[in-house]
Amino acid sequence: MRNRLIALAALVAVSAPQLGGQSPRRVNFVSCPIVQDTATVPCWLSEYEGEQYYLGIQTDISAEFDPPYLGHQALVEGIVSDEPRICGGVVLKPVTVSPLPELDQSCSVIRPAVPQFTVPFAPRPPGPSGGRLAFDPPSSSTADLKPPYGARSFDVFYDVDMLVMGRHAGQLTEIFNYAQKIPGARLKVAAGRGATKLSNGRVLAERPGIAKARAEEIAELFVGAGVSRSAIQSIWRDDPEPADGVDDWRSRRVTVRVEP
Amino acid sequence: MAWVRLYRNYIGGGHSTVVRSRPYNPRAMSRCRSAVFVMLALVGTCLLLTTLALSSQVAAQGQASSRWWSPGDGRTLAASLDYANPDGALGILNTAGPIETKGHPFFEPIGTNGRACVTCHQPSDAMSVSAASARERWRETGGKDPLFAAIDGKNCPNLPQDDPASHSLLLERGLIRVFLPWPPQKADGTRIDPEFTIEVVRDSTRCNTDAQYGLTSRNPTISVYRRPRMAANLKYVTAAAFGVSPFIVKNGQPAARDPETGALVSMNMMADAREPTLRTQAVSAAATHLQVAGQLHASQIDRIVAFESQVYAAQRMHRGAGSLVEPGGPPALGPAALASGSTGTLGNNTTRFVFPMGDGWKALPRTGDAATDARNALRESVARGHDVFFFRTFWIRDAMHINSVGLGNPAKRTCSTCHGMHMTGMDTVYGWMDTGTTNLPWARESPVSPWATQVAELPLFKLTCKATVAPHTFLGRVIYTQDPGRALISGKCNDIGAIVMQQFRGLAARAPYFSNGSAATLRELVDFYDRRYNIQYTEREKEDLVNFLSTL
Repeated sequence: MRNRLIALAALVAVSAPQLGGQSPRRVNFVSCPIVQDTATVPCWLSEYEGEQYYLGIQTDISAEFDPPYLGHQALVEGIVSDEPRICGGVVLKPVTVSPLPELDQSCSVIRPAVPQFTVPFAPRPPGPSGGRLAFDPPSSSTADLKPPYGARSFDVFYDVDMLVMGRHAGQLTEIFNYAQKIPGARLKVAAGRGATKLSNGRVLAERPGIAKARAEEIAELFVGAGVSRSAIQSIWRDDPEPADGVDDWRSRRVTVRVEP
Repeated sequence: MAWVRLYRNYIGGGHSTVVRSRPYNPRAMSRCRSAVFVMLALVGTCLLLTTLALSSQVAAQGQASSRWWSPGDGRTLAASLDYANPDGALGILNTAGPIETKGHPFFEPIGTNGRACVTCHQPSDAMSVSAASARERWRETGGKDPLFAAIDGKNCPNLPQDDPASHSLLLERGLIRVFLPWPPQKADGTRIDPEFTIEVVRDSTRCNTDAQYGLTSRNPTISVYRRPRMAANLKYVTAAAFGVSPFIVKNGQPAARDPETGALVSMNMMADAREPTLRTQAVSAAATHLQVAGQLHASQIDRIVAFESQVYAAQRMHRGAGSLVEPGGPPALGPAALASGSTGTLGNNTTRFVFPMGDGWKALPRTGDAATDARNALRESVARGHDVFFFRTFWIRDAMHINSVGLGNPAKRTCSTCHGMHMTGMDTVYGWMDTGTTNLPWARESPVSPWATQVAELPLFKLTCKATVAPHTFLGRVIYTQDPGRALISGKCNDIGAIVMQQFRGLAARAPYFSNGSAATLRELVDFYDRRYNIQYTEREKEDLVNFLSTL
């Protein structure tokens, strides 16, 4: 997989607008993540077409950025920022990093700490914390709502070809809690199969069947949490979503609509 | 050799490096008997001297045999007890005061096989049971103790009962057979469609391939072998606080609930978190381990749970560091600290700490008195060992349910990242992880070669994740394991080999370690992690860590 994509990258030019143009310059590529150690926490980088990009740092589970995995390639979808380089990498901000599910043991680079690379923003040391999470937890969009509770939609976003993971627990809880507020609530689950237009012009589509698997899993999870099966309706679309290279990560999605 | 090693271990006579993997051979045992007798005499003398030395400091319970609580003994369990062990003495604190065990369902043989709960949850062994105690029971009773009940005190029920080889996993590693239906079932009995297939690669116990008890039997069953867990300090194990959520923060799956109250539970009990509460665990354990006919009465369950909830166990005296509970000493140590500690608290921070040790042992004076200086040096080693546990970073890599939960793979962290619960070193909730103790390539395996004499003790399974699901994040689609752990309950690929972490308390009293008993000593435990994560501990760091762990 990785070799094929690298070969494709060599043949096809980057299609994103150049830095300094009117629209932000986006880069979407598949490559190995790289760990750049520092005197504090490690940086996560990735290389594409001779450039090195900074993805984020290790903090803790409160961070919006989930570091990827060595041993896997990752799909990187980001906007090139004009911030100073971090750990030698061009800063992508915002950035979505999605590990691909299959193992690739060639993704194994850990670069040792060197004095020139420091982390300007390290809210959490590599060891024990100072007593608080690195970031405040995201505020609930529904906790402060007052009755009557109306219909509300929640988007759940996925890694490429993957189902629910631990980081979805908070979002599932919010949906569940909101549904619990509405007697007789119904859940409509609509699942999609994502696709991303890469900077080399190719489209990376998720595997067939993933939309159905996501819809069924979401339904099962809510049933397991105590929602009546008869209150859940699931639909899915197995054709990949159209991809244009702009925030395509949003196409790897399930939308759960909670209705009174 | 195993018997000799037993006594070597008991008197702390160095670290055993012998890997005894062959089943017991009665003829070989007979040939060795006279030699062993001589050894026993010598070792027994050492044992006596050791015991006498300790008796001046420790109110240990009389003769060796009285350490063992047999079902129906009818003795009184004191409010506070101390039991000598090779690293000093364990303290048991019974916060409800003395208990008359006569008629108490935790101590009475309420099942059909003569066992009681106390059989596998011995006060002297930190409310677990050590492999050394199992061997001692075999020696004292000729294998007639109900500990060796056929149902799970034997490698497989249909093996010859009187042959010690039939009980090798219990005698060698302190393992009890845990037999589970395959495929897994939900609490309501409906089947779970597992994400993987399972094959038996090899099984020297023969139980998983047995026509009556195995995977292809009429009631397909998988047998794995696990250490009994501590039935003490359970307010920490059952606390549903930091991190508890309707959906599990490690994998997004629905969290278990108390079937009686509907409340979310910690899922931190048992190696695979299959029982949600102490009450359901008592019922399940009574049916399986005790072979109770019919149902436990509610009053019996109440008394068992009440007892388990009031008992605390921790090392109270250390062979080198002396009293662990002196004023000004480390606040985390001793059973009273556990009884008063706060539950449901994340300790992986410098405000609460996992094991608050204070600064009292960090730099101690040298007095010129050899004994005092040796004690102080050991105490400083313990304090350094804590800091190695808490602050020494290394690359945590390919550990399912830690690298996959937002830290990335690898994560530059410390022991306390995984072992973060205040006072116990468990995870705060949903404590199953794959740290490599049961999954290959990291699990302890006997070497295979034309020159090796060892044979594998534990069964080995090949699990293949189905093509319809993503492969295991770090191990791929085909995984070899000695115990699939949580996956035997959830049916999830990513749960293969994930085991709920155990408490770090009373360690000196309950070797061997890990769920499969694969680390015979604390040093082997440290060495395992050193290999697993390429930590590159120095010799001094290892010694300090072992000293620290032995005080918990």
